[in-house]
Amino acid sequence: MDDLEKKVVDLIAEVLVDVNKENIQLDSKIVEDLGAESLDIYDMIALLEDEFGMEITDEEVEQIQTVKDVANFIRNHRKAS
Amino acid sequence: MRRRVVVTGMGMVTCLGSGVPANWEAVTAGRSGVRSITAFDCTDYHTRIAGEIQGDFDPCGHVPVKEFRRMDRYQQFALVAAGEAIKDSGLSCPPEEPYRAAVVIGSGMGGLATIEKGSDILREKGPKRVNPLLIPMTVINLAPGMISIKYGFKGPNFGVVNACTSGASAIGEAYRLILEGRADVAITGGTEAVVTRLSIAAFNALRALSERNDEPDKASRPFDADRDGFVIAEGAGILVLESLEHATRRGAEVRAEIVGYGATDDAYHFVMPDPEGEGALMAMKLAVEEAGIDVSQVGYVNAHGTSTELNDVMETEAVKKLFGTHAKDLAVSSTKSMTGHLIGAAGAVEAIYSIMAVRTGIIPPTINLDNPDPKCDLDYTPHTARTKELEYALTNSFAFGGQNACLAVKRA
Repeated sequence: MDDLEKKVVDLIAEVLVDVNKENIQLDSKIVEDLGAESLDIYDMIALLEDEFGMEITDEEVEQIQTVKDVANFIRNHRKAS
Repeated sequence: MRRRVVVTGMGMVTCLGSGVPANWEAVTAGRSGVRSITAFDCTDYHTRIAGEIQGDFDPCGHVPVKEFRRMDRYQQFALVAAGEAIKDSGLSCPPEEPYRAAVVIGSGMGGLATIEKGSDILREKGPKRVNPLLIPMTVINLAPGMISIKYGFKGPNFGVVNACTSGASAIGEAYRLILEGRADVAITGGTEAVVTRLSIAAFNALRALSERNDEPDKASRPFDADRDGFVIAEGAGILVLESLEHATRRGAEVRAEIVGYGATDDAYHFVMPDPEGEGALMAMKLAVEEAGIDVSQVGYVNAHGTSTELNDVMETEAVKKLFGTHAKDLAVSSTKSMTGHLIGAAGAVEAIYSIMAVRTGIIPPTINLDNPDPKCDLDYTPHTARTKELEYALTNSFAFGGQNACLAVKRA
């Protein structure tokens, strides 16, 4: 995992009360594997937006499934801006 | 036959420490917990002191650290104190009959700090960046809601919003639920976290707070002629109440009994108490009558004693009217002289101190009573604690809005 991916894992672990950081893998599916519910997702989006200074639309969120997808989304956003 | 309601668990967090033992040690030693505010930069404020809880307030780990993030501070205090109370009670959770298990928690202002922060973000970053958890972190009924989730209590569940009387009102209403047979066990009390930018500014605008910034530990001085307002504070007090049958059946240790509750309103003014003290008097009278005792059997009154002239004089008059000739033999004290005024948690924290007083026979003092107000002429237990054979105690709470509540507790 690179630094960005580690940061994403930290943020997800912060939101998901019942999940240990050690159990979060890059290919973990945020909803299916980690058990995130809708409020967790909104909470995560707010944290990511704060941390990385960007805006994530609801349509973009639907394309994101795994931890790696989140990191890739942030990378693409950084390239675009 | 009337059901009896007993206390089987207690938990608290105040500026004097976390847990009932640390608190009881501090109040019986006559130590103040009032200090300079660290929560925010208060350079421009008239008042720069409070009964603030500084540092870690969950040293026993009653709530997992990760869960804290999604709670406002007033909810954190409630959950930590509830954790201690449940542990103290030995109750296994979820309870066997969850629909007979109630949660009633009082708070005056709920998640005020979260509202302030949300309002800043709304102004600085716009509506799309507001915290999705702002609503659940803010509303007062989420404190009892979160406690019910944690302990599996599925019976009657509600918040009580009664300003400075919230904690006592919550305990009184939970007591009634058990007394009337609508629940067998309840987690109840009060919680408050209003050492915040907006709250201190607003109480200052009302000219309600002490400005004795250079001597924080001397700022809260109930019944003293040199007082200059109350000292705002934060924290929580939580009790586990049960019907005596329920407690006996599971072999629980009974700490004390709640024997009376009086609730009234002054119907007089929106922030000032009725100087005649009729509502306060009636609340005490109703609690004593429900207890089925004579006023001479009450040995201690934990006063509302805010350290404001309006309250202290009115409360003194009300006590004298109720107790008559017995008033001079009565021990009175205001533990707010040490904790400051915990607003919606005050009644619950003071109920615990009153229970500890009947359990141990120790009356906590009113500190800083160096120059008694001539209009306040009861025995307020000045400066140092003392021992006294006690069976019954009253604890008073009065609020902006004119609400008055009094609880009567009995030694087990």
